[in-house]
Amino acid sequence: MSKPIFVYTIYIASTPEKVFKALTDKDATEKFWFGHAATSDWRAGSPIEFHREGKLTLRGKILENDPPRRLSYTFQPMHPPHNGSEPPSRVVFDLEQQKNQVKLTVTHDDFAEGSKVFEGISNGWPLVLSSLKSYLEMDRVVLHAPWYEKQEAAAS
Amino acid sequence: MSKPKFVYVTYIRTTPEQLWAALTDPQTIRKYWFGITAESDFKPGSSWCLKFDDGRVADSGEILEAEPQRRLVIRWRNEFKPEVKAEGWSRCTMQIETADYYPDVGGKAVKLTISHELEGEGTKFVEAVSGGWPKVLSNLKSLLETGDIAFKN
Repeated sequence: MSKPIFVYTIYIASTPEKVFKALTDKDATEKFWFGHAATSDWRAGSPIEFHREGKLTLRGKILENDPPRRLSYTFQPMHPPHNGSEPPSRVVFDLEQQKNQVKLTVTHDDFAEGSKVFEGISNGWPLVLSSLKSYLEMDRVVLHAPWYEKQEAAAS
Repeated sequence: MSKPKFVYVTYIRTTPEQLWAALTDPQTIRKYWFGITAESDFKPGSSWCLKFDDGRVADSGEILEAEPQRRLVIRWRNEFKPEVKAEGWSRCTMQIETADYYPDVGGKAVKLTISHELEGEGTKFVEAVSGGWPKVLSNLKSLLETGDIAFKN
């Protein structure tokens, strides 16, 4: 059985610089990534953390930072239901200028055997990347992620 | 062993009605599909084809299911690349669902899932549609959200 790999390509009417900036900016990620704000000094080997409403939701380590072409980090979800229970996987963002737009390819692999995170990210990336595209093209995010409302309702 | 298959999900700030119209109106299809037009009345059992600007047939087939604003299924064969055509028939399912919560457009938005599966064996068809669908669907999303397309040839 081959190891799972998730690949998603999306075209954005923007520049590689703007897309790269959005992926590495705390305020931008907070907007298009449904409240998850990314912080790091973005140097290879440095930690990266995402927080939502003060809670750590995702952590990893910067593997590659080559603006505006390539960004890569390890990826360990800390929010429920994963809670850091799986070892980190790896996500790579490849940006390529194609005329007046950017081809953004997200490749996510190196999952643990029987990974539950793989299932989560397979649903999550289309949502996050649809939102990123809308954010850059029309300065609006696509939607608020419905599961937070559900979670909060369940918790109360 | 599962069949060769390509799946793509995108979220669009629009309504199921507008998305359905964009998927089935030849004039709109032209705008986001690089000048390609569709010929079909999009009713179950009807023939369907995609044509290039110069009249050559790109793909042909038949509408298997058409449930307005929810689901469109097309039996689909490539006609313009011999090595892709040789792999035969495929089935393309377009599923429209309402996504839960888009506050600033009055709760209106949709999740579009394209699932394109080859009936037989082979790798060329899925390879071809894996390159094509992200371009077409990125354009469709831009067109419906901003009135313009992302990908200009």
